[in-house]
Amino acid sequence: MPQPQDAPPSPPSPTASFYDVSDDEEGEYSAIRQSKSNKGVKLLYAKSKVYVHPSASAKDNVAGYIALVEQKPVVGDGERRKSAVTHPPAVAGKSGKSDNNHNLLLSWLPEGSLGDGREKYAKADMAEADSPPHRPDLVPPPPVTTTHGASIGTYPFSVPLSEIYSILFRPPSSGWWHGSIVINTRTGESFPALFFHDNECQSTINQRKRLQRENFDIGSSSGGGMHWGGDEVMKWLKNHATVERSAHEPSLYLVDPTEDDQKAFGLSRRPTSDNVRNMLEGKDKGESSKQKKKEDPVGKALKEARWTVLEKLSQVTTFTRRTAQAVAENKNLPPPVRRLMQSPQVQSMSDEFDSARLYLARWAMSIAEQAEKERSQRIWTARDILEMEESELGSFEVLDAEALSLQDKRKPVTAEEWESFFNASTGRLEKTQLEVKERIFHGGLSKDDDVRKEAWLFLLGVYEWDSSADERKAKIHSLRDEYIRLKGAWWERLADDRGSLEEKEWWKEQRMRIEKDVHRTDRHIPLFAGEDIPHPDPDSPFAEAGTNVHLEQMKDLLLTYNEYNRDLGYVQGMSDLLAPIYAVQQDDAVAFWGFVGFMDRMERNFLRDQSGMRLQLLTLDHLCQLLDPKLYEHLQRLDSTNFFFFFRMLLVWFKREFEWFDILRLWETLWTDYYSANFHLFIAMAILEKHRNVILEHLKGFDEVLKYVNELSGTIDLPSTLARAEALFRRFQRMVEAIDRKDNFPSMPTVRQRLPQPPPSPSNSQTGASASGRERTAADNAAAGAGKEKEKVISPELRMLLSRDIPKLEKKEVREHGGGIGS
Amino acid sequence: MASRKKILLKVIILGDSGVGKTSLMNQYVNKKFSASYKATIGADFLTKEVLVDDRLVTMQLWDTAGQERFQSLGVAFYRGADCCVLVYDVNNSKSFDTLDSWRDEFLIQASPMDPESFPFVVLGNKVDVEDSKRMISSKRAQAFCQAKGGIPYFETSAKEAVNVEQAFEVIARNALAQEESQDFNPDFPETIPINMNESNEGCSC
Ligand SMILES: Nc1nc2c(ncn2[C@@H]2O[C@H](COP(=O)(O)OP(=O)(O)OP(=O)(O)O)[C@@H](O)[C@H]2O)c(=O)[nH]1
Ligand SMILES: [Mg+2]
Repeated sequence: MPQPQDAPPSPPSPTASFYDVSDDEEGEYSAIRQSKSNKGVKLLYAKSKVYVHPSASAKDNVAGYIALVEQKPVVGDGERRKSAVTHPPAVAGKSGKSDNNHNLLLSWLPEGSLGDGREKYAKADMAEADSPPHRPDLVPPPPVTTTHGASIGTYPFSVPLSEIYSILFRPPSSGWWHGSIVINTRTGESFPALFFHDNECQSTINQRKRLQRENFDIGSSSGGGMHWGGDEVMKWLKNHATVERSAHEPSLYLVDPTEDDQKAFGLSRRPTSDNVRNMLEGKDKGESSKQKKKEDPVGKALKEARWTVLEKLSQVTTFTRRTAQAVAENKNLPPPVRRLMQSPQVQSMSDEFDSARLYLARWAMSIAEQAEKERSQRIWTARDILEMEESELGSFEVLDAEALSLQDKRKPVTAEEWESFFNASTGRLEKTQLEVKERIFHGGLSKDDDVRKEAWLFLLGVYEWDSSADERKAKIHSLRDEYIRLKGAWWERLADDRGSLEEKEWWKEQRMRIEKDVHRTDRHIPLFAGEDIPHPDPDSPFAEAGTNVHLEQMKDLLLTYNEYNRDLGYVQGMSDLLAPIYAVQQDDAVAFWGFVGFMDRMERNFLRDQSGMRLQLLTLDHLCQLLDPKLYEHLQRLDSTNFFFFFRMLLVWFKREFEWFDILRLWETLWTDYYSANFHLFIAMAILEKHRNVILEHLKGFDEVLKYVNELSGTIDLPSTLARAEALFRRFQRMVEAIDRKDNFPSMPTVRQRLPQPPPSPSNSQTGASASGRERTAADNAAAGAGKEKEKVISPELRMLLSRDIPKLEKKEVREHGGGIGS
Repeated sequence: MASRKKILLKVIILGDSGVGKTSLMNQYVNKKFSASYKATIGADFLTKEVLVDDRLVTMQLWDTAGQERFQSLGVAFYRGADCCVLVYDVNNSKSFDTLDSWRDEFLIQASPMDPESFPFVVLGNKVDVEDSKRMISSKRAQAFCQAKGGIPYFETSAKEAVNVEQAFEVIARNALAQEESQDFNPDFPETIPINMNESNEGCSC
């Protein structure tokens, strides 16, 4: 106990005044830690019918009292407390309260254990007082525990207020269950939940009646919810301690939170980067500002990155202890984070399932990401790429100098440069197709002029590469007519009563589906944002919200595609594919044919039997096996080799992962088919490789991998991903060549493509149906059958990756597997 | 004291595209509604810790795409589910008619030990929309749920947070009961025994 003069002057409070009275007038209650002098403790408040539910069965419930008691200060207590309570109270003015709190005990006692005290507890329960009684009864001291531990069967417990870190208050819920509280101690223990059977508790029933009477005039009770036993406990606590609600976990209340706690739980104003950094690095303010002056820019950047993540971390309200422990032991963690993980506020929080690993994994990546972003501000040099390859992909062959003289090639193609590719009078391309594609592949198209409008039509196959300006004009003309015809067709369809019932149903459904999806596609892009015209159909679910002209155009376009390709019809994901094309063209007929061109290659993603998606996921599986067997093995252990976590990325070509302008750049790169018509699989591999260490070290289950990969959305740096994908492709190409040479020695390299291919490993034998271009004869298989090395296998799926031919489906295949009305 | 080990309850949310699965989940976990959630592609899950009686459990709520063709890839997640939530839109009768096939598909793919007793919960969502648009009455939905062995039924609005909390409390409770019943038979076979061919003989149906 500190001497009175040590304590800052505090205003008279119920506690303070009561304390004086007690010490002077009744010195006879004992300090319960010295339980020999068993005189008793002061019973300040009690509430009955508070149960522990030890099992799922109601017959095991144990009824008891929750009570707040005060014990006599223990001699030599100051010493003990110095070590136990390391956090200074946050609010200086209220510290007087906290000083007493190691003498105040929050207890729970089964009814059966009360003995002589029974009547006193009953009396305290019924005492309708908002403050402690002036002459509290003395009762036998309850046993003190600060841990719950393995005390099976020994239910009574009592915790010094100073040891309580937080309490979870769960109000009763509309007849479903009882309200309950869970006490969490500073050591990270949680006591069993205490359930308030309010309907059995006479004092609570009385309080409810009284509140109803009092609030009758006002109409309803102020707090909104029904009064329950927990409200009383809250009131007791507030009389003796500072109780603050966590902003992040609204049912969690912190008892006498320290400043650090307040930050961690977002109690007070948002923390500033400085004070959190200081907290994490264990520095006081003076030291850190000195430190800051001599910081080098790199260190500073790292710190900034760390800060953003730590800010996020501080918002996570929990980690399971197990996870926190595992993370804290990871040697790769920088000391500040390790320290953070070990701090009690992190350890005792409780929230998301195993989120700690994910958060930390993301933290680690964001630092790397930051570094990468900085690097991508400048032009890539050969050195950068070599460094990257060495550090991230191991033994890379040196790329040829030509590929690395990227400085010019990585500038985007402007409208002016684009025009210079064409003959001024005929409008015919004067460069080779491949040259132009190479330029776009490496540099992209400028976003500052209209070059995309025209160039995309070449990339999407609307224009022939060898066409003249006049031919293109004529083509657009006839395409416009055709668009109008197609649009008219479904208009009529909706207007008349033609067609079978089944057909009409299908159209109605497709229309609804399109409408629902358009209204939730890229609404953050200014073009699609907002509603400024009334909805044309008053029966639409969006009639009330309204619409805008671009949304309506999108709907018409997708319905027209539904008409154009009835074998497939509209499938979810297509609205994501259309939006960028529409936004760039802003001309419905032109956008339509651009979209048709894109869909020609994307059709296989949307088949009813999903064979196209399966094939691509399988190819990714093979690619990972070949390029990164170690990662592959790990994924195998996690049951993740179905590569389902890449489903979204492959279905809509990373639309949900990158920002809008990055998507435009990425798609035009992929449309060039410069290296491979399936270059998107190398983008996927590049993303996977980037995160391989995190996945290897931190992720322990399929669900975690899925969550982690889903949450990469919005964090991926495009330029470095493109460069990595290119490096991966070239590496892949060389490996295939090397394996072919080895397998087929002394065959002539010219017939390489037709030589026997080893069969895929058994687990990969069921492949998707289409577009793989594989042709294997029985003889080939027989030749390949015997004793090939398992790890060096170029499956047909992999070999397909070397092709620049766009994997388009046969019309017949779409008719059979499209799942539209035509099939 | 009952064991304090961490319990993970896996809950699968199914239903036609656009009925509000993603919105319901976000309303329950994040307490907010946004009109601009994108159509779900692939699968994702959210987790939430809740107290069921005195048990602290983690609910892992799986959200998948509603369009039926995407289900074939999603079935991997059905395994080990403790409860399946079937959602329809009360203003869209088609979404109600398909509940049965969602349920059947789930039972086939998840192949729970005892399909008869596997817990489902049905949610009729978007009850905030004006009455004139309503297509499926409470009575009809309740009759369906009765006929399927007394499936709990809730009418919800993800938009206005009506009944969401209550529904998920029941979901949690039923999932926990299912999880605990599984605990007694921990090593059930991963695959269905080969009875497809043999049973033909004895069966006259
Ligand atoms: N009025 C109203 N609209 C809702 C409610 N819940 C969802 N919506 C709207 O319905 C549409 C679809 O909601 P989602 O939650 O994305 O539906 P989903 O079931 O996840 O759809 P998929 O991801 O395509 O399977 C959106 O436009 C939502 O804003 C609701 O309770 N009331
Ligand atoms: Mg969804």
